[in-house]
Amino acid sequence: MVDQARSDMSMGRPVERRSVLSRFGPSNKKVFPWVLMAPTLIILFAIGVYPFLYALNIASQNIILSKPYLPRFFVGMYNYQSVIQDAEFWHALRTTIIFTVQAVFLQFWLGLGLALLFQRAIRGISIFRIFILIPMILPPLVAALVWRYMFFPGTGLATYYSGKLGGLLGFEPVPFLSDPTIALQTLIFVDVWEWTPFMFLMLAAGLAQIPRQPYEAAEIDGASAWRVFWTITMPLLRPAILIAVVIRTMDAFRTYELIVVMTRGGPGNATTTLNVLLTKTGLEFFDASRAAAISLLMMMIIIVMSFIFIRVFRSRTEVAE
Amino acid sequence: MSNANAYTIESPAAPPVERNWWVYALLAVICVINFVPYFYVVMTGFMDRAAATSATPTWFFVPTLDAFRFLIFEKGIMWNFLNSTVVALASTFFSVTIGMFCAYAIARYDFTGRDDVSFWVLTNRMMPPVAVLLPIFITFQTLKLLDSLVGLIFLYTAMQLPFVVWMLTGYFRDIPKRYEESAMVDGDTWFQAFRKVTLPLMMPSITATAIFVMILSWNEFAFATFLTSINAKTMPPAIMAYSIGANVEWNVLGAAVMLITAPLVLFVLILQRQLISGLSQGVVKQS
Repeated sequence: MVDQARSDMSMGRPVERRSVLSRFGPSNKKVFPWVLMAPTLIILFAIGVYPFLYALNIASQNIILSKPYLPRFFVGMYNYQSVIQDAEFWHALRTTIIFTVQAVFLQFWLGLGLALLFQRAIRGISIFRIFILIPMILPPLVAALVWRYMFFPGTGLATYYSGKLGGLLGFEPVPFLSDPTIALQTLIFVDVWEWTPFMFLMLAAGLAQIPRQPYEAAEIDGASAWRVFWTITMPLLRPAILIAVVIRTMDAFRTYELIVVMTRGGPGNATTTLNVLLTKTGLEFFDASRAAAISLLMMMIIIVMSFIFIRVFRSRTEVAE
Repeated sequence: MSNANAYTIESPAAPPVERNWWVYALLAVICVINFVPYFYVVMTGFMDRAAATSATPTWFFVPTLDAFRFLIFEKGIMWNFLNSTVVALASTFFSVTIGMFCAYAIARYDFTGRDDVSFWVLTNRMMPPVAVLLPIFITFQTLKLLDSLVGLIFLYTAMQLPFVVWMLTGYFRDIPKRYEESAMVDGDTWFQAFRKVTLPLMMPSITATAIFVMILSWNEFAFATFLTSINAKTMPPAIMAYSIGANVEWNVLGAAVMLITAPLVLFVLILQRQLISGLSQGVVKQS
């Protein structure tokens, strides 16, 4: 479309300057929106598409940043092949999926519960709301640091008090960050702590847009609260649910600060998600080509997810119109 | 049953005030879980070293400003604070100013490929930052933009654009087109109509978007860590430096956390309403 518009422009007969400019102006309903969007599109191209193409180029060579003296040559699909055959990649993918699915699932139900709770007329509702929103307004780095402190072996609040409780009830101190299985669950807990407020906010805004009439009709019919929830609230909330869940899934999939600060992917590689594996490969082992290959595979996964996103959007607009 | 009460017919204007104690108890527990960890870490910032690193949690102590003094005078953290402020303000300004026109075009004009453009803009937000980090790192290295505020501002502007466009498109749709049209009938040019009619009406929404974008820029960590080292280092990577190793000085870290979150706390307290409407509406309104 841009190209077409541009070529129209360049093929135009020689005209005086003013009228050339006015062809881009507000009177031209076809071209003017592109003029308005041009700065945004150019910047996004520079920071979105260009790095992508660059990564494609890097991934087809053997560039190791720490060994610049090595001869560089074209290796075709070798990097993708070796990444796909690497058990570590599949382990990271599996960890990422477990982390994302479990965290988003918990966030959704907790957030929905909170949003429903906030429909009641609560005294001091805005104060409660500020307190509930605190975790998501903190920088992700700070949230991670705070919880690293809470779970710090020995001195952290959570470690200390759970150890005390364990002493009373007779269970061993919980190795929050040093046991492979528990470490991942701890990270999921912190992610849930941090982002449930986001789900709450989205779903509360969605609930506020639901009209009251269906509820009144259900009341007259004498439907139970349970039935009202599943047949009225959930279907009418669907657009808000989809958007909130999709945004959260995208973000959970690429969680970075939390994992790097709390476990650095450990113990072993128990909490190494794709994003952490990518950072390690590229910026600790300086294997640029392999990292680029991982990042492109990761992008492919995200593109698949975004196609689902498109379908979600389409179905939404159909409902809306 | 309290559950059944939730759906009784009631006037939306004046629902009865909640009297169930369990609602308040539940909310109080949630507030404690959400607030205490952060509060405790900030409190650590006012402890001396012995209290902060003792084996048992300290709740009562004589406050001291040692950690702040150490950070500000010995580590010069205010330089990082200044960098963060400059980067957050500048990238917010540029992304909102540039994205505004894009959002306007998508909301107002019916052109071929409009849905594709708006979706493509959005896909840029889905990309994991770490995935484009390496190419950007190499490009910045070539362009001598590593460790410079200009590079960081440009990058953050680009990162925030999809979000700005997405939020503002929804808001522009809410403003009737005929306001501008009547201004243009009265003889204003398009830009005059935009500036004098649409922009003032958009101001609350633009503020909400700007607040949100500024918080995102202020909080950004991954790019800041790998693209800055000394001169342009912002707050998040600076703070990260105090948490590395097994012998973390928790009081210094607490003070640093206090410094990085202070502007956010102020923002939230002052602009609570705009922030919440901005956070929620931008996403829900979009259709």
